[in-house]
Amino acid sequence: MRRSVWKVLFGVFSLVALVGLLLAGPAAALDKVVIGHPGALSGKYAKAGEQARGGIEAAVKWVNETRGGIEVDGRKVPLEYKNYDCESKKESVTSLIERLVTKDKVHAIFTPYSSGLTLAGAPIAEKYGIVYMDHGGASDKIFKQGFEYIVQTIGPGSKYHAGTLDMIKKADPTAKKVALAYEDSEFARSVMDGAKQHATELGFDIVFERTYPKGVTDLTPLLSALKATSPDIVIGGGHFEDGQLFNRQMADLDINVRAFSLIAAATLPAFYEALTYLAEGVMGPSHWEYGVTFDPDAAAKEGLQWIGPSQDEFVQLFKDALGKDMIPDYHAAEAGAAVLALVLGIEQAKSVDSDKVRAALGDMTFMSFYGSWKIDKTGKQIGHDMVDVQWQNGKRVIVWPAGARTAELYYPMPTFAEKAAGKKATK
Amino acid sequence: MSARPGKYLALIPVLAAYLGMFVFGRVQPDMWQLVAMLAFYCCLGQAFNLFLGMTGYVDFGYVAFVGVGTYGMALTLSRLSGVEGIGFGALVIGLLAAAGMSAMLSIAVGAVALRLRGAYFAIATIGVNEGFRYFIEGARIWNGSEGIIFSKDLRAIFGRETAIALSTFWADVFVIVIGASAAVVTLIYMRSKIGFALTALREDEDAAKVIGIFVTKYKIIAFITSAVFAGLLGATAWALKLTYVYPPDAFEIHYTVEAIIIVMLGGAGTLLGPVVGGLLYGLSKYWLAIILPGFQLLIFAPIILVIIVAFPEGTVGYLKKKVRGTALERYIV
Repeated sequence: MRRSVWKVLFGVFSLVALVGLLLAGPAAALDKVVIGHPGALSGKYAKAGEQARGGIEAAVKWVNETRGGIEVDGRKVPLEYKNYDCESKKESVTSLIERLVTKDKVHAIFTPYSSGLTLAGAPIAEKYGIVYMDHGGASDKIFKQGFEYIVQTIGPGSKYHAGTLDMIKKADPTAKKVALAYEDSEFARSVMDGAKQHATELGFDIVFERTYPKGVTDLTPLLSALKATSPDIVIGGGHFEDGQLFNRQMADLDINVRAFSLIAAATLPAFYEALTYLAEGVMGPSHWEYGVTFDPDAAAKEGLQWIGPSQDEFVQLFKDALGKDMIPDYHAAEAGAAVLALVLGIEQAKSVDSDKVRAALGDMTFMSFYGSWKIDKTGKQIGHDMVDVQWQNGKRVIVWPAGARTAELYYPMPTFAEKAAGKKATK
Repeated sequence: MSARPGKYLALIPVLAAYLGMFVFGRVQPDMWQLVAMLAFYCCLGQAFNLFLGMTGYVDFGYVAFVGVGTYGMALTLSRLSGVEGIGFGALVIGLLAAAGMSAMLSIAVGAVALRLRGAYFAIATIGVNEGFRYFIEGARIWNGSEGIIFSKDLRAIFGRETAIALSTFWADVFVIVIGASAAVVTLIYMRSKIGFALTALREDEDAAKVIGIFVTKYKIIAFITSAVFAGLLGATAWALKLTYVYPPDAFEIHYTVEAIIIVMLGGAGTLLGPVVGGLLYGLSKYWLAIILPGFQLLIFAPIILVIIVAFPEGTVGYLKKKVRGTALERYIV
């Protein structure tokens, strides 16, 4: 009996091994460049994952149809996009990346969304020595680990408020006191650490700093303490729900400041729909917003090469890719820009070899509809400036950077009493 | 082994399955990460089954043990990376820390919750993972909400190449070994006084008490053993392999649910069940994610429903019934 069991087991193993060997095909000559993406199409990052997929598909289509492909070895070959769904889960990320590299023979991996999933895939990308295009992991710590193949397009968390603070410093040199109140999460902490550092460098005083837990339902005690320090500038937030609560309770407690910036919440149209006039003059940083005015002229002015579709072309390609009448948000834009970066990197390296492409990406700088692009030697994005939006008379306008703005900054923000009386944040 | 030679024959198929995974991964190195994912699910089921299968108690906070184990390894590696010549000692300390920390947590939870029965136990454990996560974030211990990212520490200790090999190969080998060890311990328990006591209490806790079994003691033994394996799984599959830990990721209740599904698919209380369940679960997830990216869960949920309705005792439970009285009986347990 025991012998027959072993025979059966041996038979099963040899069969499995044989099937596996048959499935592994020979390597083909380079007739296309393939991007692999273990996307987050379902699970908790599904929304951002859908945007990223749309952004990548839009950029790939532009490269193939408008640009005629990607130039390698003196001829243009098409760019292809191969994606799977990692369900926003770390277990799936590693196995899907391996499949993309070994079976689908892709030439670059695009990260899934979030810093966590980006980190989860990094060791396996390093193992295979393949360029790892980070379009959704903003944590600065990713770039302190010594990964050699990672290339970031999304701006690092620490840079979120650099522009906001520069802008206020310029508009009002007398503003001194900054209060920070934010959600206790990895993302908000990395953003606020950056804000704190930049504020100190610019000579602001941090008069208040406190966190609140995720899912908070009452910020009154925190805001009462904040009010006692009478800050000029309040920076904070974490997610949409707490950002909305933050703004509403600032109004309830009649805390009037000269500038008020919230991460994540203030850039969304739903923010103004929920708060209406209370949101007048409120600002928020974003990697990209529809309406920025980056174009070939702006690139020429800064002495950068331009690549990619115009903003409106990108929006149209994005809508076609997803088959939905949806405006792309920054998740789509940074994923699309990462495709453009890869295309330039491969063309400048004149090869799809990851070491050469990574080296070329390190020396490269360009501008696209997403703005300017440059990485440091760890792969961290240092060329891209965040944009700042402000709600002015019910419209979301871009007030920073100067090269991309659609309106002047309204400063100082109207008081809540003025807003209740009908004053809008426009001149 | 001496009293009944066939006592441990049931280990053959389950150990063959783990060995098979390893061999398949070596023969087919470009599918090693798939093997790693399957091994993770099998091992998760195997460790969870040690408690759920043997006692019939459902621990909804189970992922907390995996999370704490992850922290055990993460803390060890990040704190000891500066120690000269620590080398592989760091791994040993990390594994010991993971096992110790999950054992301590299980004693704390078990001492309270295991005095409760059935549904009350399930309710009492439901908040353990969330509670522990908020404790880490709120008390700002172990780096609080920022988590620990220790890829650079792993490199500092072992050098780049070894660190990559640890994350992409050896961590998975450890997971396979941990899964197989959990299976061995399960069978040892099944064949000993502990197993008989647990079977008695699973079938009728009052009757077990009346015949003089100190049920709380045996429940705690099974609970701690199961938690230690979970901690080791976290230390390898999450810490060593992924080289980062964020509290929301490590204490996500989703993994408890997955463990329950795996054990149910395979058959609660069986030895082979978690492996079969883990393979079924992992493989169908993987292939559906490739064939129908974005829609796999729509297909996957009905498949699970059908399997559970068709085989209420799990696939291995069904198989066990089928082979009763035949020569295969000793192998399928």
